[in-house]
Amino acid sequence: MIADRGGRHAVPLSALLAALPTLVGVGYAVAAATGLIGDGGRGFSLDRTAHVLAEHVVWRGLFWTLGTAAAATALATAGAVLLAVTFRGTGAADRAARALAVLPMAVPHLVAAAVFVLLLGQSGFLARALYAAGIARAPDSMPALIYDPWGTGFVLALAWKELPFLSLLAFTILATRGSQLEETARSLGAAPGEVFRRVTWPMLWRGILPGVIAVFVFIAGSYEAAVLLAPSNPLPLPLLTFERYTDPDLERRPDAFVLVLVGLAISAAAVAAHEWARSRQESFEA
Amino acid sequence: MTAGTRRTLLLIPLGLAALAPVAMLALTSVAGRWFYPDFLPGELTSESWRSLLDGNRLAGAAGTSLAVAAATAAVAVTLGLPLGRALARLNGWRRHLGAAAAFLPVAAPPIALATGLQLALLTLGLGGTYPGVTLAHAVPALGYAALYFLGVFLLLDPRVEDEARSLGATRVQIWTRVLAPMLRRPIAEALVLAFLVSWAQVPLTLLIGGGAVRTLPVEVLAFVRAGQDRYAATGALLLIVPAALAIALGLSARRSEPAPL
Amino acid sequence: MVAGRVLRASVVLLLSGCSGETKAAVDPGTLPWDAVEAHARGTSVTWRMWRGDPSINAYVDRWVAPRLRQRYGITLHTVEGQGPEIVNQLLLEKQAGAMGSADLVWINGEAFHNLREADLLYGPWAHRLPNAAFVDSASSTIQRDFEQPTDGYESPWGAVQFALIYDSARTPHPPGTIAELAAWIRRHPGRFTHDQGFTGTTFLKVLLYALNGGVATFQGGFEPERYHRGSERVWTWLDSLRPAFWRGGAAYPPGVAELHRLFANGEVDFSMSMNQNEVVTKVRQGVLPRTARPLLIRDGTIANTHYLGVPGNAANPAGAMVVANFLLSPEAQLEKLKPEVWADGSVLATPRLPPAWAGQFRALEAASHALPLDSLTKYARPEVAPEYHERLAADWRARIRAGGS
Repeated sequence: MIADRGGRHAVPLSALLAALPTLVGVGYAVAAATGLIGDGGRGFSLDRTAHVLAEHVVWRGLFWTLGTAAAATALATAGAVLLAVTFRGTGAADRAARALAVLPMAVPHLVAAAVFVLLLGQSGFLARALYAAGIARAPDSMPALIYDPWGTGFVLALAWKELPFLSLLAFTILATRGSQLEETARSLGAAPGEVFRRVTWPMLWRGILPGVIAVFVFIAGSYEAAVLLAPSNPLPLPLLTFERYTDPDLERRPDAFVLVLVGLAISAAAVAAHEWARSRQESFEA
Repeated sequence: MTAGTRRTLLLIPLGLAALAPVAMLALTSVAGRWFYPDFLPGELTSESWRSLLDGNRLAGAAGTSLAVAAATAAVAVTLGLPLGRALARLNGWRRHLGAAAAFLPVAAPPIALATGLQLALLTLGLGGTYPGVTLAHAVPALGYAALYFLGVFLLLDPRVEDEARSLGATRVQIWTRVLAPMLRRPIAEALVLAFLVSWAQVPLTLLIGGGAVRTLPVEVLAFVRAGQDRYAATGALLLIVPAALAIALGLSARRSEPAPL
Repeated sequence: MVAGRVLRASVVLLLSGCSGETKAAVDPGTLPWDAVEAHARGTSVTWRMWRGDPSINAYVDRWVAPRLRQRYGITLHTVEGQGPEIVNQLLLEKQAGAMGSADLVWINGEAFHNLREADLLYGPWAHRLPNAAFVDSASSTIQRDFEQPTDGYESPWGAVQFALIYDSARTPHPPGTIAELAAWIRRHPGRFTHDQGFTGTTFLKVLLYALNGGVATFQGGFEPERYHRGSERVWTWLDSLRPAFWRGGAAYPPGVAELHRLFANGEVDFSMSMNQNEVVTKVRQGVLPRTARPLLIRDGTIANTHYLGVPGNAANPAGAMVVANFLLSPEAQLEKLKPEVWADGSVLATPRLPPAWAGQFRALEAASHALPLDSLTKYARPEVAPEYHERLAADWRARIRAGGS
């Protein structure tokens, strides 16, 4: 194997192979978006790209997607950190709590979205619980949590779905490297709050940051969950992309590839951020 | 608020959050007519479960998903392990580039990944086939596996390998006698990880499979979009149970080997 | 390099798993029907159809498929797919020069339009089916798919008519015209909406006809001026009522299934369906309450036929034709019509059928329809050029996204 002979050689073939399909996809998207191939392709032109990027609905969709992904990621991260710090012991309750926190990882985000539709709809499970408790007596007295412009249901569903993964990361970090530094800090006389702020939190954050970025980009690219929970206005980017991709007007279909490139730009930024965060984590552990 | 109170206060919503959705799905899967404001279904029916035992589409899809996910896991770990190791031994920008390349299929929007894959697979004649979908799933799974093994090999002490080599061990012996025992658990975890990536995959299966390859999540999505809640819930439970088992197994294996790798 | 060797081996293994049936497809275009059936015997046919309804699936899997095997030696494989997906798939296959993955496709309207424009369909073939003699060829809704002549490139399969759905327990006196509906919506704010999908757009078309003097205004091809003036009235009607819609008209259920759920759970008081008889099957499946009923709009509702097509790159067009012929047979059409099966309208002209069959059809139609047959006929309106549908959908979506913060 090349790498056996030290780090002087090219990046392994299999890494490039892993990236190859995406790169081909990027190439195809660029070609389709600029009119080099496909329907409505009349030779290289940036008109379509300019036209699509000038559309108000595209930017609103982009901001909605990024905003909800950020909110859901933040919620999941906060929850993971809270759980990790609260249940870090070795007792039965701690182990049970950690197991409960990680178990929903088995639920695919499609199912999570479907469940939250049934749960948070104005005539959903939560509403019926409130009805039984005598609080909300009609569907419209329940707040709109799905199909709403803020994406409340979407954010909650995806935060719930990603919490187990981030919790697992957080638990592992605290279990494998937690105690030593914290002990040192405590022995130097730091109060519990300070220990958290200066030792525990930075350590946790550095360790889970790659995971946090992965979660963010995953939520931002989510299609199935958006289909089930998102509002009609603004329309999330993946849904807008799919809508153009299946537009009955075949001439409009290449618009979808411009939007794909926008999505890829987000991914590229995430890949760069993830690699930066991962190497920071790595140098910390070394 | 004492730590103890906080723990109890957290345990309750934690338990609810973990168990309530599964309970809801279980109820929905056997509910007959169940409309607002009924908290519990008025009529029950085992129709969707009986149909499952009769070998309906959900059963077939579950089998397909199992086969595809198992194959994906095998491919992803077989290629991801050496890749992770190679990346761990690189330095500087080469490692960054390699790791970024591995992460790219994970981060890319599925439609971009799928378009690239679709053209290649259609030309090879694999569009709408099981091998084609497996290959498609293997791409992001490989990315996850490579990054995972990169982390594993970074934590492995390279001196162990060097010592073995200086003692005259051949390459094969290093792999079978030295590395394999240390890698047993990471390999198991990576297999579970890659399996789950394929098990829950929807967009790639839809776009590459072209409707011909019916995996379990694709069937569940179809039932959800068609408003067939009962069948969707049955399928959803089928999706969750094996995944939960795999995760539970992975967690208990982790606990029984305390030494961090 | 170990990794390289493993990779190469895997690729070879996986490629060998691909079944390369490169036998040249027999073109049944010039063969007599007996020869077509002979060629089809012992083959398998892949049918791409919407698989979202268990009742339809049961009809196809448990009634049609066994009979195809017994009588014609054909093994039927059904694969999920709807209009836009099918069009995309066939386009991509054409680009890649790949062999066809489907022999038969279930389509209508927009999909047919796109497929014909891109020359993706095999044909003409439909007129060669023996059972085509029974088809109600006088009906304009059957011979023209969204005003496009089918020209034998697709074979009719079933006929449906758009209807609203209401709950007789909640709404004992439902509105019967568009004007009455508007008044009802104003009196009951927040209790009406439509979905974002095909059914919702069909509702917009019903509005288009009703507010512009009927379907005759829009027949004879697509005319942008007529569309522009006509759609303005639709937007005005919708805008005036929007605050009284569910969620104040700021959100709409993504598809008709979600609308059914809102209706069944009492969030809104109306749902809608492309098939006036869907109420029957949905009540049986427990999706809609037992008191749900269909409702025709007296201004006219849209009658619509759905069809079967054969892709140009199909591997087994002969088999596809035999399947289509069987589905067109009086026996299959009668079974499909039964309310406990699918309640999908027949495309056959009862007077053309042999007396024994004709009698069975008449009996079934009289007994089963939730709506009287003469009302259905009286209020049926044909589809017009597909561009009206496409433009309405696109403009509606643009309008609801234009407003708002």
